[in-house]
Amino acid sequence: MKEKKYAMGDTAIARGALEAGVRVVAGYPGTPATEIVDECLGVPGVHVEWANNEKVAFELCTGASLCHVRAMPVMKHNGTNFVTDFLMHVNFTGIRGGLVLISADDPGGLSSQNEEDTRILVHQYAHLPIFDPCSPQEAKAMVKEAFDLSEKTELVLCLRPVTRVCHARGIIEFEDLPKDLPAAHYEPDRERFIMSAVEMTKFGGLKRPQIRHRWLNEKQPLLEKIMEESPYNWAEKGEGKIGLVGCGMGYTLIKEAEQYMDQKLPLLKLGTLPLPRKKIKEFVKGLEKVVIFEETEPFVEGLFKKIFHEEKIKVEVLGRSGFVPADGELNLQIILDTVKKAVIELQVNQPQIPTLDVHIPIRTRTQCVGCNYRGILNALKQTVRKHKGIVAGDIGCHDAGSFRPLELQSTIYCMGSSVPMASGMVLSGVNRPVFAFIGDSTFYHNGILGLMNAATNKINVKVILGENTVTAMTGFQPHPGTGVTLAGEKTAPVNVPKLAESMGISYRVVNPYDIEQCREALEAAVKEDGPSLIVSSMPCYLLSTRRGQKVFEPREVRLDEERCNGCMLCINDFGCPAISFEKQKKKVTIDPMICVGCALCVDVCKRGAIS
Amino acid sequence: MKMDVVISGVGGQGNIFASLVISQYAMNKKLNVLGAETIGAAQRGGAVVSHIRIAEGEIYSPLISRGQADLLISMEYVEMLRHIRLLNPQGAYLLNAMKIPTVLNNMGLDEYPEQEEILKAARQYCPNGYVIEASATAKKLGNIQMTNVVMLGALVRIMPFFDYDEFKWLINANSPERFKEANIKGFEEGFKLIN
Repeated sequence: MKEKKYAMGDTAIARGALEAGVRVVAGYPGTPATEIVDECLGVPGVHVEWANNEKVAFELCTGASLCHVRAMPVMKHNGTNFVTDFLMHVNFTGIRGGLVLISADDPGGLSSQNEEDTRILVHQYAHLPIFDPCSPQEAKAMVKEAFDLSEKTELVLCLRPVTRVCHARGIIEFEDLPKDLPAAHYEPDRERFIMSAVEMTKFGGLKRPQIRHRWLNEKQPLLEKIMEESPYNWAEKGEGKIGLVGCGMGYTLIKEAEQYMDQKLPLLKLGTLPLPRKKIKEFVKGLEKVVIFEETEPFVEGLFKKIFHEEKIKVEVLGRSGFVPADGELNLQIILDTVKKAVIELQVNQPQIPTLDVHIPIRTRTQCVGCNYRGILNALKQTVRKHKGIVAGDIGCHDAGSFRPLELQSTIYCMGSSVPMASGMVLSGVNRPVFAFIGDSTFYHNGILGLMNAATNKINVKVILGENTVTAMTGFQPHPGTGVTLAGEKTAPVNVPKLAESMGISYRVVNPYDIEQCREALEAAVKEDGPSLIVSSMPCYLLSTRRGQKVFEPREVRLDEERCNGCMLCINDFGCPAISFEKQKKKVTIDPMICVGCALCVDVCKRGAIS
Repeated sequence: MKMDVVISGVGGQGNIFASLVISQYAMNKKLNVLGAETIGAAQRGGAVVSHIRIAEGEIYSPLISRGQADLLISMEYVEMLRHIRLLNPQGAYLLNAMKIPTVLNNMGLDEYPEQEEILKAARQYCPNGYVIEASATAKKLGNIQMTNVVMLGALVRIMPFFDYDEFKWLINANSPERFKEANIKGFEEGFKLIN
């Protein structure tokens, strides 16, 4: 039975996988892909889990695939980077049960530490096929087909949705789920699945890696043939000698732009890699130029140039290598401005809007009001100031400690970088205390390795583990320290003190709502030689509140205006959104509408003005 | 016909609930709907915006472009200004009279514009505007989190495209059991806020 629902692109992708009979889904949370995993939950016989990192998720899914069941690892682009090593092996071995890798890109870095184009990694580097959807509906259809093609070609197939596909909502048709999933079975095939430098007698003694590479190369003509016939590539007729090419979301934006243009230009919609060479050759007949719109790098543009060179086609190729902006997310304005630049006589009719002459303050995110991170960050701020310390940061809610007003963390790179970077700073001989601040989800992702290294090599780094027992930033996904699985089953949470003991690292467990205790622990850590761990342990305030659990006893917080001298310590070193500075009075005020009564600020104020 | 709606606010103000009610209403009317949301910053006091595009025919981009929105619903003064360029000056805006200062405002490092200045700029941009005390009403009813349903009540009053009874039904259907009654009350009070 078919049913129409208004749903998110991520939901559409999840549904597509379930309709295709996926059996194992695993991922690590990351915007914009997170909801795909969540939305797969609840179907009998389908195992869905949050793995502690993307590589674990991908390897786990591959194991399932080798037993002939369908599996789907889910990640954002940073995760795809993280799994590259495994990707560069599984591309050579191939798979058995359909294996569809979801690699969601975030053009413009809307919710990321960087922006990048994983098509390059998956297609150019690993030589694997990709679907690049232009809408939630197409993403759903593509996922279903990807499972079939993955089995047909014995290769991992990748779906690469961008944020505007993942987090768009549209009307999605839900179809029935398969009644029976095929049973798993395993037969060894060591010539394929033992990736090792073994001499292959039947190939004249060549080593296995080379032979598997050859196998992958020999798959390419089949992939090209499949994509040539794919329903996700098509041409639309138009006037003139300049054609537009839209890849994935690029196509959608061109269609939007057409409503403002007085002329319909020839348009080629592309959704696959490899590209459909014949369709492209047919499309460019009689054209002088093509303008390519793709997210994010000039990747298809490069492939066009290669095809045109090989086919001796004299058509100019314009795109993100100079003609279209080379960074950031595409939008309607970029399409219109670029098309106008290419087609001078084109008329664009956009609505005129009045100018606006008023200052609009920027709103940066911060920790929630009541968040326990604010306590440990304040204690760390004081310690760092006193000892001229340096803080290396990591990914997670605590990263907002690097923004104003605190400006505490000096570096933030990728998952787990804080401890090794802080270690390197120590080893540089900089001769200042160096701290690393890392959340627990990031710690289990791979941050633990940095700590182990610091322990083994006796590096004098001070690691603060913000243990809020959940992956809060992306919406409270469980991790190895939570004590519960995604499906809600109880499990043993990792015991950090025992972990530290086994590494031989001195550790102190503190309550972040007790700033004094945090400061004392930090002070003691600074004084000792060798690696130290401070476990700032308290469940996430927001999640606890939603569950009706208390992490502190809320109380009314009052400001004594007589005592407040406007020193701004509570703002600059603490930064709670409920506290603001009143310029006229030269004093702070606490907004009772925003305050949740955690009373951390009482300890922050040195004049006893807050009680 | 088409109806492009932008809902802007600060994380936690209930944008997504409001956008779901509007979208489902359009879907029930057999219209095409496409939307987009910024989520992620939502729980941490960041700026949040939802786009909802409703039309009889095909809709392509999930994002509404400059000057195209028929309606701008804003839960906060500055968040209205941030997105006002999306609004067609012949359209309408509905603003909740609520100020939420930014971190830099709190530090005294950035100016939050005077309310009169904001309202003047909005009036100059689009003459058809409604400013209501939705948060104050919600607080009076017992929960500031009901701001969104109060706004939806006012929306139905100003836009005949949206139907009172249908909205009531959708709010009821989408609310958790323990908030159903209060949300309906908030919706009704919101409707009464505009004469």
